[in-house]
Amino acid sequence: MTDQVQSFADVELGDDLPVEHPDVSMDRVRQFCRVSKQEFPRFTDHEAARKEGFDGAIVPGIMSQGLVAALIHRWAPGCTIRKIDTVFRGPLLVDSNLTVTGAVTDTDDDLRTAELDVTVMAEDGRTGVIGTVVVEFPG
Amino acid sequence: MSDADGAPSTEIAAIRDRWVGLEYDWTDFEMVTEEMVAWAEACNETDPRFIDPNHPDFQAHPNFTAHCMSGRVLPDDFPQIGGGFGIDGGKTVEAHAPIRGGETLSAVTTIADLYDKTGRSGTMVFIVQRMTFHNQAGEKVSTVDWKMIRRA
Repeated sequence: MTDQVQSFADVELGDDLPVEHPDVSMDRVRQFCRVSKQEFPRFTDHEAARKEGFDGAIVPGIMSQGLVAALIHRWAPGCTIRKIDTVFRGPLLVDSNLTVTGAVTDTDDDLRTAELDVTVMAEDGRTGVIGTVVVEFPG
Repeated sequence: MSDADGAPSTEIAAIRDRWVGLEYDWTDFEMVTEEMVAWAEACNETDPRFIDPNHPDFQAHPNFTAHCMSGRVLPDDFPQIGGGFGIDGGKTVEAHAPIRGGETLSAVTTIADLYDKTGRSGTMVFIVQRMTFHNQAGEKVSTVDWKMIRRA
């Protein structure tokens, strides 16, 4: 695992990014929902979400993308995320302990880019989001 | 609906020929600095490029445009495929250039792709809605593909 990379030269195929457990408290999620104009009860109210069949309020899928982006920015300060491609596989609960991971699966020396596989896992180990990210490093 | 060799059904192929690439919605979006900061902070961001409006390279978080919804999910008169809204199959966001606070982005919406896949649970139709965002200088800044999945 590499805690932080300062340049493309530091990136190695197979590197794992530091594992993170982001804050997905109700306050954070409500803040996200306000600004993203997604103030649906399934995101902002545990009881309402249960009435929809969930185990509690769920984290919006595009917020999960943002959690992944923040992880990558801490791993590679100054990098530019060029592409985020995620698939939402299952609900991730608000006020739970999520795990965000990433690993380098490809690099391109000419473009100074790295491709990462990323996941966001629920507290019980289920995978809620999988995806790939393309990151460009400054020259 | 797919043929045995995996080719799309005649019906899907006809819909694709008719609709893929056709522009059907045009919407402008204001990029509000305070909202850009609030989005990034909610996502646990700590990089000052995204949370400090005074940073010389302050810009929107990479997937900020993912929340921008077109005026119409699908074109008027788009054929009914399957039932209901279907499943949100995820989003792909491409960041072509930084988005700055105070900009107005113009988004054009198209159907980028349409295909079907058959598995053990039956045939599913995938509709990919694409929003392409340009800033006031005409520079392409972001592309968001939203995959909608419906049972055929």
